[in-house]
Amino acid sequence: MDNFKKKFIEEATDLIDGLEKALLALEENSDDPALIQQVFRVMHTLKGNSGMFGFDLIDRFTHDLETVYDLIRNGSLRVTRQVLDVTLAAVDHLKLLLNEDNYSDKDFIRAHEQLTLRVASLIDTPQALEQAAESVSVLSNADECTYYILFEPRKEIFSNGTNPLYLIDEVASLGNSLVFAHLNRVPKLKDINPENCYTYWEIILVTKEGTNAINDVFIFVEDESSLDIQKLADLNLLNDSTFVAEAKRIAAEKEDIGYNMLQTLAEKVMKQQQQKQADIIKREKITVKDTTISSIRVSSEKLDVLMNLVSELVTTQARLSLFAEQNAIPGLTAIAENVQKLSRQLRDTAFSIVLIPIENMLTRFQRLVRDLSNELHKDVVFITEGSDTELDKTIIESLADPLMHILRNSLDHGIEDADVRQKLGKPRQGKIILKAFYSGASVLIQVSDDGAGIDPELIREKAIAKGIIAADRKLSLRETLDLVFLPGFSTAKKVTDVSGRGVGMDVVRRKIADIRGEVEIDSEKGVGTTITIKLPLTLSIIDGLLVKIDDTHYVVPLSAIDKIYAVPTKEIYEKYNNVVILDGRQVSFFNLREEFNVGNVDSEFMQVVVVNYEEKRVGLVVDHVVGEYQAVLKPLGKHYKSQEMVSGATILGDGTVALVVDTNKIIKQFASKQVTTNK
Amino acid sequence: MNQENLSRINSYLSFKLGEEEFAAHVGKVLNILEMTKITEVPKAPEYMKGVINLRGTVLPVIDTRIKFGMAPTVYTTNTCIIVLDIEMDGESIHVGALVDSVQAVLELDENTLLPAPSIGSKYKSEFIEGVANIDDRFIMILNMDSVFSSDELSSMKDKAVETEKTSEIEEIG
Repeated sequence: MDNFKKKFIEEATDLIDGLEKALLALEENSDDPALIQQVFRVMHTLKGNSGMFGFDLIDRFTHDLETVYDLIRNGSLRVTRQVLDVTLAAVDHLKLLLNEDNYSDKDFIRAHEQLTLRVASLIDTPQALEQAAESVSVLSNADECTYYILFEPRKEIFSNGTNPLYLIDEVASLGNSLVFAHLNRVPKLKDINPENCYTYWEIILVTKEGTNAINDVFIFVEDESSLDIQKLADLNLLNDSTFVAEAKRIAAEKEDIGYNMLQTLAEKVMKQQQQKQADIIKREKITVKDTTISSIRVSSEKLDVLMNLVSELVTTQARLSLFAEQNAIPGLTAIAENVQKLSRQLRDTAFSIVLIPIENMLTRFQRLVRDLSNELHKDVVFITEGSDTELDKTIIESLADPLMHILRNSLDHGIEDADVRQKLGKPRQGKIILKAFYSGASVLIQVSDDGAGIDPELIREKAIAKGIIAADRKLSLRETLDLVFLPGFSTAKKVTDVSGRGVGMDVVRRKIADIRGEVEIDSEKGVGTTITIKLPLTLSIIDGLLVKIDDTHYVVPLSAIDKIYAVPTKEIYEKYNNVVILDGRQVSFFNLREEFNVGNVDSEFMQVVVVNYEEKRVGLVVDHVVGEYQAVLKPLGKHYKSQEMVSGATILGDGTVALVVDTNKIIKQFASKQVTTNK
Repeated sequence: MNQENLSRINSYLSFKLGEEEFAAHVGKVLNILEMTKITEVPKAPEYMKGVINLRGTVLPVIDTRIKFGMAPTVYTTNTCIIVLDIEMDGESIHVGALVDSVQAVLELDENTLLPAPSIGSKYKSEFIEGVANIDDRFIMILNMDSVFSSDELSSMKDKAVETEKTSEIEEIG
């Protein structure tokens, strides 16, 4: 049972997240019927599930919420800010309700009761009350109507696994119905494709549910069929025997009856029986299915196992390729190449499975901005771009906190009050943009605001006051801005509840470094601040270039490489300022042999791997290039934790270990060393 | 076997560094490997010899001799890598230790162990759990966790022997 509960909680968490997202969208677009429908459906599912798994509090709580959105759906209640505030509070509360440990907490229960009252008060507002009363009275007055439904599925509907008969059954379960199946489109036997659907249906349905309910039945086949639902009359036509007989007669004579014909019939009947009221057959409201099975839920442990297996496979494949190369057995090479191709595809697919769009975490940011700007009495619009950018799930998980912090900073210190903004000639409404996009093998996430920006002078003063830098030290703008990442640095003049406690940007930088990312800050005083986070696409397998220096193999990530050149060895060693001319352009280089202290080379040519480093081209000199290689990244272990230039190791086909280098770190390190030695 | 059962076993693996004999509790030893090609990691401390492939995982190898302030290991047919399971910052990690030769597995009664000499020893006393006297040979029982989890060189001597290979050890940008 616990297992089921866990499953429920997992599912409910997803539902609640979806709900939150829909609500925030609803705020923008308060009369979008599709969104209202979505919110309603989530509440409905949540109610059903929680009841089933014994979460009675949630069951009752969502029941009230559902009522609210049912009223909205029927147009009896409008989506107001108040409604949204309460609903969002309710959503937060729902999350807490999922944790049963909370139930014993008295304060929690009190909060629960209060919120329940608030929700209930939405239903009881005079406007709603009146309308609700009306709708209730209509209901009790046997709100039975007769509908005409024409359902023509497309021929290919079976291929989706849809059985139209189930839909018809479902419609029939809404009330009393008369179904005409039309077979006139069925072709001659020899022309029949048994996988096609040639039948279409006309249904006369008497039900208390509105068109919404009928529409819901067909919600998943809307695209697969043509559907026509029209109201024939406000009463139960099927109780009238002449109407039924007439309809049947027409159906038998003609191919289909058609709405117009029925309409005339209906009018006739209505005149005859205006006073007659029908008996009501009470039927249970049907549950609306609301999710298609377009995705399945897999535990992340299984994914980890899969990723490990893929890594092993890639390593084994490398051995096979090497073996095939060394042993010229006919046919083996072809097989090895095939295995290589397959394992590459498998690797890519497995990777795409663990990649999830960052959209998943954006909802809570949207919420954060909304709540915080209310709290701070600022008017801020939060725009997201590239929310479909995908990242490894582990990266996304560890990214949420730092981003949250950055956004808080932007809201609290960045964006000015509306009045101040107006005085400065900026629009009253502040703007925060979160942009995600691919750049090479990295994903960049940028958070920019159009707020006050950072005053470099202020940072400088503060850094001097705190003794972080010497008073006479000259720093470039970039270096100055980088100071905010130092521990214990906070420039906010007043410390607020939101930020400015002096723990902050250093934690952000550390957390991002933990996932091998980098963070940079750009700011112009009075114009705004942009914080850029650069992240590796994925953590475990990379495409690389295998190179050799002395006896050791190294892997350079392919994504960083621009071009490879062969250069005479003496040119490398005789250069004083480490610059070679390649393709007519000067390229500064680092001789990795020298940098790694592995002695001199005796071959005539060396190879220069030109990599991109901060928009510059920098050459790395190696003995020779072996070829392309898929490297399964393995950690070097804690003993090498201070080793920044090597981001990991990988095992080659012959069982030896190659080191995967981080070109950015290497160049940064050597470049800084050079500067210091030059001084 | 859990930790408790392991600690009740009184077996120790003895090995030699130069002429001196040391021993480690068998509960810490996972494997003994023959010498294999070690991939050097550039710009690492000198005692960090490099990494090897241990059945698909990357295992860091430490030159125990340098760690103890002796001259770097000279590879012979007897040179071995002992794969150890040590505790470092509360985590269990695997590390390979280069030794000159592996001797034997000894059964030692805890009560016969002598306390580590506190004065006049070449080695920090926290690294030595005790000393066993077998046929007038003194074997130092090492606390592998503290020996191999510390970043420092373990010797009391101030400086490790400089070799032609690396000079700036800890200098990292």
